[in-house]
Amino acid sequence: MRISPYLALVAAGALSIPLLTHDNYVIQLLNIAILNAIVVLGLNYTTGWTGQINFGQAAFYGLGAYSTALATKFGLPWIAASFSAILVVALASLVLGLPTLRLRTHYLAMTTIGFAEIVRLIIVHWEPVTGGTSGLRDIPGIDLLGWHPQGQIQHYYIMIAVLALAVVVAARIRHSTVGRAMIATKDSEIAAEQSGVDTLRMKLLAFMIGAIYAGIAGCLYASSIRFISPDSFSGTQAVFLMTMLIVGGMGSIPGCVAGALALTILPEALRFLGQWYLVLYGLGVIGIIALLPGGLASVISVRKLRWGHPQ
Amino acid sequence: MGQLIVNGLALGSIYALVALGLLMIFNTVQIVNFAQGQLLMLGAFIGISSAVTQELPIAIAWIVTMAAMALIGIVFMVLVYLPLRGRSPFLVILTTISMGIVLENLALIIWGPLPVSLPSPVHGAPLRFAGVVISMHQAFTFATLIVVLTLQFLLLTRTRFGILMQATAQDLRTARLVGIPVQRTIAVAFASGAVLSGIAGLLVAPTYLAEPTMGGSLGLKAFVVSVIGGFGSLPGAVIGGLSLGLIETFGARYISSNFRDAYAFIIMIGVLIAWPRGLFGEKTSEKV
Repeated sequence: MRISPYLALVAAGALSIPLLTHDNYVIQLLNIAILNAIVVLGLNYTTGWTGQINFGQAAFYGLGAYSTALATKFGLPWIAASFSAILVVALASLVLGLPTLRLRTHYLAMTTIGFAEIVRLIIVHWEPVTGGTSGLRDIPGIDLLGWHPQGQIQHYYIMIAVLALAVVVAARIRHSTVGRAMIATKDSEIAAEQSGVDTLRMKLLAFMIGAIYAGIAGCLYASSIRFISPDSFSGTQAVFLMTMLIVGGMGSIPGCVAGALALTILPEALRFLGQWYLVLYGLGVIGIIALLPGGLASVISVRKLRWGHPQ
Repeated sequence: MGQLIVNGLALGSIYALVALGLLMIFNTVQIVNFAQGQLLMLGAFIGISSAVTQELPIAIAWIVTMAAMALIGIVFMVLVYLPLRGRSPFLVILTTISMGIVLENLALIIWGPLPVSLPSPVHGAPLRFAGVVISMHQAFTFATLIVVLTLQFLLLTRTRFGILMQATAQDLRTARLVGIPVQRTIAVAFASGAVLSGIAGLLVAPTYLAEPTMGGSLGLKAFVVSVIGGFGSLPGAVIGGLSLGLIETFGARYISSNFRDAYAFIIMIGVLIAWPRGLFGEKTSEKV
């Protein structure tokens, strides 16, 4: 990946934000926005590149968070707990994806919605373990080889580091054989198969990498906020994640990040609208799908073209 | 046992009605409407506004609701279907979901979050035989399902309009080319799909109360029903609906009532893995 001046500018900006504000509320909001960005980057593998609908991403996010919370509460060291959480999520995505990824459009949409709903019902009703609707409190914090990050700002830098890693991995995969095979699967499964791409395997791979992204974000969520409840990982959340991807621009890495940041911060800024916010949200998403199918990213790439950079 | 069967079938009739509404739209434009449950919710609340708030006689309230739902169906088509013709199915799915969010929150603003009840159009002592009690409302629900099913069957197979719908579904461009009023056919499909959901809403509200968030899970159930029965199949929607009602009622009684909402999804995923086209087969093949 070439380091472009824009990228360096964005990175410098991101790193200096805590110098500009010490408002814990703002930093906490940013932390959630960054976690959403990681989850949406994961969703982008399945939906943006491989072209498969996935409304199960919020459930994988939740699965990662609950596994981490339960493992650390049980007494496992943080590193071991987070690895086991990621393993749980990867296994769950394999078990769900293997038999169902050959389904298409609304069938796949419903399967993933159904999976998410089953996960949610288990979390809500398995009270002795998951705490039911009231959730889990006092989850042990992050422990990186004896270093316990304190306060929002230290957590912010951890999140930024993980997001950067997530972006770099995504960018590397995008331009590898695997990334191209994923996009070929999206464009035309028949043509991809003809060119020797095992499309089912690509779909499964994209699905699992995406779930692992969500699992990592869930793990960070549980150990940084230290309180989780089923509401944060509901079906509604899955729809919000999908709209972040659409608004940002399907398939575009900067788009995913921009979409997640914008749609996490916007509701806080528009809180005065109350219930009207969600009405406008829905209409806004319909408007973007109808008028700007490439999302925010397409606006940026149009400008890039004008400046003479090839796509 | 007999009582559970009656209760299960009553619940299943509602699922079948919503699934029939879903089918109306799917069979014409191949769009799966994820906001069907929210249309049901609107039907229930328009019924409540006319019958309870405006104190209209319940029969008039039903007519007002059905007329309003027909209109809403057409508005829905203009807002959701027209801007997206020819786009990928995924974007259409997301648009209907977004429309569901809009409708649900508009309902919260208009009617508030509290559950409200609607009187049933029928009164009188419940029917009893062999120890089984069938309330008048349950009997009326079965009767409505049978009437709707008969009308829809005749409409789709015996009338000119049904043939126009099939032609539109098979190939929109050719249908237009041979002079079929495609736009009008699609408008009728959306309107009748919304009316069917509205009727289901009017039938749900007396037993289960109405609240703005009721649509989400009912819409998904209708979807599960369609998947089990095979998308676009009339008998599939009815048999799928009734069996889901029975499964949920018996599952809640004999396995666990906490997980009654999970049975639908577990069965759906099982059916999809084993018979990807549904038990009764999908009528029209899917366009890629």
